Amino acid sequence: MTFGGAELICQLLVGISRSMILFIVCAGLSFVLGVLRVPNIAHGSLYMIGAFATFSITKMFAGSTGFWIALILAPLLVALVSLIAERALFQHLYQREHLMLLLFTFAISLILGDLVKIVWGAEYKSVSAPALLKGSISLLGASFPRYNLFLILIGPLVAIALWLFTIKTKIGKISRAAAVDREMVGVLGINVSWVFAIAFVIGCYLAGVGGALVAPTVSITLGMDHTLIIEAFLIVIIGGLGNMWGALVGSLIFGITHSFGVLFWPQFAIVFPYIAVVIVLLLRPKGLLKSVW
Amino acid sequence: MERVIHRRNFLLFPVILGLMFLVHPVLDVKAQGPIKVGIIDTYSGPPTTYTYDVRDAFKLAIDEVNAKGGVLKRKIEFTTRDDKFKVDICLSMAKELIMMEKVDILMGTINSAATLAVSEYCKTEKIPFIVTFSKSEKITGEKGHRYIFSITENTAMIGKAAAAGLAKKPYVKYWIAGDDYEYGHALADGVWGNLKKLKPGVELIGQSWWKVGEPELTPYLTAITAAKPDAVIFATGGASMVNAMKAAKATGFAEKVPMFIHTATEHSTLAPLGLDAPEKVIGTSNYHFYYPDTPKNRAFVKAFKDAYGREPKVGALYGYLAAQFIVKALEKAGKMDREKFIDALSGLKVDSPVGEIEMRAFDHQAMLPMFMGVTKKVREYPFLIASDIVTIPAKDVMPSIEEIKKARGQ
Amino acid sequence: MFERMIRSNWFVPITVILIILFLLPIAAPRFYVYILALIYVTALLAMSLNMVVGHGGMFQFHHAVFYGVGAYTVALMLTKTKLPLWVGFIAGPLVAAITGLIIGWFCVRLTRLYFGMLQISLGSLIWAIVFRWYSFTGGDDGIHGVSMPSFLSSLNHSYYFILVVFLICLVLMYMIFRSPFGSTLQAIRDNAQRCEAVGINVRLYQLGGIVVATFFAGVAGVLFVVLERSVFAEMLFWVLSLEIFIMCLLGGWFTFAGPILGAAMIVALRTFVGKYTEYWTLILGVILILVIFFLPEGVMGFFQDLLKPASKELSERGR
Repeated sequence: MTFGGAELICQLLVGISRSMILFIVCAGLSFVLGVLRVPNIAHGSLYMIGAFATFSITKMFAGSTGFWIALILAPLLVALVSLIAERALFQHLYQREHLMLLLFTFAISLILGDLVKIVWGAEYKSVSAPALLKGSISLLGASFPRYNLFLILIGPLVAIALWLFTIKTKIGKISRAAAVDREMVGVLGINVSWVFAIAFVIGCYLAGVGGALVAPTVSITLGMDHTLIIEAFLIVIIGGLGNMWGALVGSLIFGITHSFGVLFWPQFAIVFPYIAVVIVLLLRPKGLLKSVW
Repeated sequence: MERVIHRRNFLLFPVILGLMFLVHPVLDVKAQGPIKVGIIDTYSGPPTTYTYDVRDAFKLAIDEVNAKGGVLKRKIEFTTRDDKFKVDICLSMAKELIMMEKVDILMGTINSAATLAVSEYCKTEKIPFIVTFSKSEKITGEKGHRYIFSITENTAMIGKAAAAGLAKKPYVKYWIAGDDYEYGHALADGVWGNLKKLKPGVELIGQSWWKVGEPELTPYLTAITAAKPDAVIFATGGASMVNAMKAAKATGFAEKVPMFIHTATEHSTLAPLGLDAPEKVIGTSNYHFYYPDTPKNRAFVKAFKDAYGREPKVGALYGYLAAQFIVKALEKAGKMDREKFIDALSGLKVDSPVGEIEMRAFDHQAMLPMFMGVTKKVREYPFLIASDIVTIPAKDVMPSIEEIKKARGQ
Repeated sequence: MFERMIRSNWFVPITVILIILFLLPIAAPRFYVYILALIYVTALLAMSLNMVVGHGGMFQFHHAVFYGVGAYTVALMLTKTKLPLWVGFIAGPLVAAITGLIIGWFCVRLTRLYFGMLQISLGSLIWAIVFRWYSFTGGDDGIHGVSMPSFLSSLNHSYYFILVVFLICLVLMYMIFRSPFGSTLQAIRDNAQRCEAVGINVRLYQLGGIVVATFFAGVAGVLFVVLERSVFAEMLFWVLSLEIFIMCLLGGWFTFAGPILGAAMIVALRTFVGKYTEYWTLILGVILILVIFFLPEGVMGFFQDLLKPASKELSERGR
């Protein structure tokens, strides 16, 4: 089978746009892993809540404004949920064994999953993209969805914002320091508990952003948390735990190998992510970029 | 130390025994108690789009029968279990319904693997099992037996119906794309095998398969567009349906390439999409609440809407059929005797919103007609509906008895 | 050794419990017999996982694969070949252990989360093969109605078979747990660097632990086929792995018998609470959180701590 240059470029862009949502979600997961050392299984549930909230908020307003408002409000709602979980429960557990924290986040994901079912019902939902981003544009003769173009623009923005946050703001610097040596940060008289809370909420906020952004492209269902979380963990691992740029690299590897895989070996698309992880981990046992662990 | 470990073990067993007797064995079967139907189905996650309608329509029909005094002077009672779309849970809950609740008839299931597992168990326990949503053709085909019935279309039937419809279209170069699991492959093989028979000139230029639940289908669609097929056969189901339709609309795929998806015209797919669904997608379905426009269907839709405030989807037809078949077979059998019930149900004909439906005696597969249509925006509804509907009668849809025999190695 | 067993003061309660378990099928309703048998199978699986997680400190994230491989091996041998039953029963655990050896060989090069995620990836490749290879494994439909010989055909007979195999495995696992090999694994869990320093080949011991654990997972897989007569691709999916992981943590992963309790709790919960509500996962979540907060060592760990003063006294007296 042969493909023209236009198709290849189109496919590359589709892969990148897919990577961007993965990146935003994984950056949050990786951030929490780096600062708090918590493999947060509930991250997927928060992503799902983000998508469901986007559905509800979009429906409240007529026309396209609903989606733009949802894009701001839904992640904030997710951040609020995570803040409550953190302050009420999580903060008492930081001294525990990692596996216990894993169990805890699993329990939270079970609870959130059923709460979503109680609040939104079990049927699937769909959000339409705002009028501005509907349809597709013609790109070198091949058609390319506008919404994916929007995702390609928004991904780098989030990356830059996150990067500026960690190097410029005080809280960002402290959380980077806490990721490396939390005792030392405590010794310096900084309230580590609140640093953790803020880091956790930011990580979860990103899950919410991912959920809001993905909403117009997929059917919003219970169980979308499961599909995502395992992929997100694999991405974070191959990128290097706690490394934001690692999450970006990992997401791009996933997104692009996937979209080209689909083009050339569609029968084997199901195993690509796993093979990618096996190869990376066998060559670089600690992930591609420097891990904070 | 040793003592501690064993005291620990000692503590363990009372806990297990306590758990066991926590829920005591309930009712013994009373001679004139209600007739018990156990429904095991998925009541969490995406499949509920289909399963809730089965349950609700079944309840509606059963309530009506009970209000008239039941059947054989006994009420019909049903109890549901959520299997979470998991085979092992489905199997242990089915066993619970049979061993503890002592249900007379089992029905439900949307997960084909779970259906096949429960089917084997019902065979050994001699319990009639009525399948309401699983689509594998093995259920009443290769793995069929005396105790299993299916009142939903299966992949073989979809294949025949789709091929019959598509053979009339001018397309030659086809692409097949779908969910990478049994349902997808069986459906694709069914459509393609039959189409090839009806129209030998067709050509398969490529295939794509994505993992079940794949959220982002755009890369697949752009890849398929690049190959320029005349038409695409999509073998997807469940949540992927909505994803496929959305991606087809967003990429403009639906306008460029004619696409066939089984259930694309079905209300379960079109309702959540609202006006975002693409037009001109060819689809097949067993039921539409607006077609056939008969008094029987109108009455059914009205009753369902009054009770639940929504339009019935295809699941509602299956729920209704299950209730009708059970009630009519019981009446015919004269008493609740499982063997007599099965004899009565084989070959039974009941009336339904889509006309008279026969339970084929040979393989216990309900003979359902299929409606092929094209998605279209209309003024009356905030969602798309099927238009230009062609009815493909049950006789053209059903796999022949020879085919079933062959599959069973007879 | 037997004399010591008879003399020790736990001999009587254990015997009583065994007698109850053996007599149970006579009196109890069939469904309880079935659920109890299911608990033995699940408990054996959880205990096998705990050999590497609790006692070995490894992040064995995809243990279900070995369970599934064991189950599929026996199911395929019984449906596709004419080999006698016992060949399948032995082959199941062996193939699972070989799979464990291959996957473990890669995984022990890494540590902690990296170890776990590599295992998930490798295990998922096996899952994908089972899921995709329709003609051989039946794909996602699985293989159902695996026929068993007459001595295993009734529920009670399979109950006894499962119980006996389960007890034998428990004894074997306990012997491994108390053996020098088991102690070394626990030492590696507590401090791998130190073990390396005193000349222990950490990777080799870890690999050994994985092979033993996966062997028992394979046994559990075989028992599952005996009980349910079915295998399906879900048995190799990571969700099940997570579930058994949770059983270990819930029951108490630093104790020997904790996973039995964890498995019993989860099976009982989903069976009996599932009867009344669709939301049993919500209840499970709440219970898990309560356990994490109030019983940090798991349920069994809690009982162990409760009895600790007594044990100290005893061991001092013993000395």
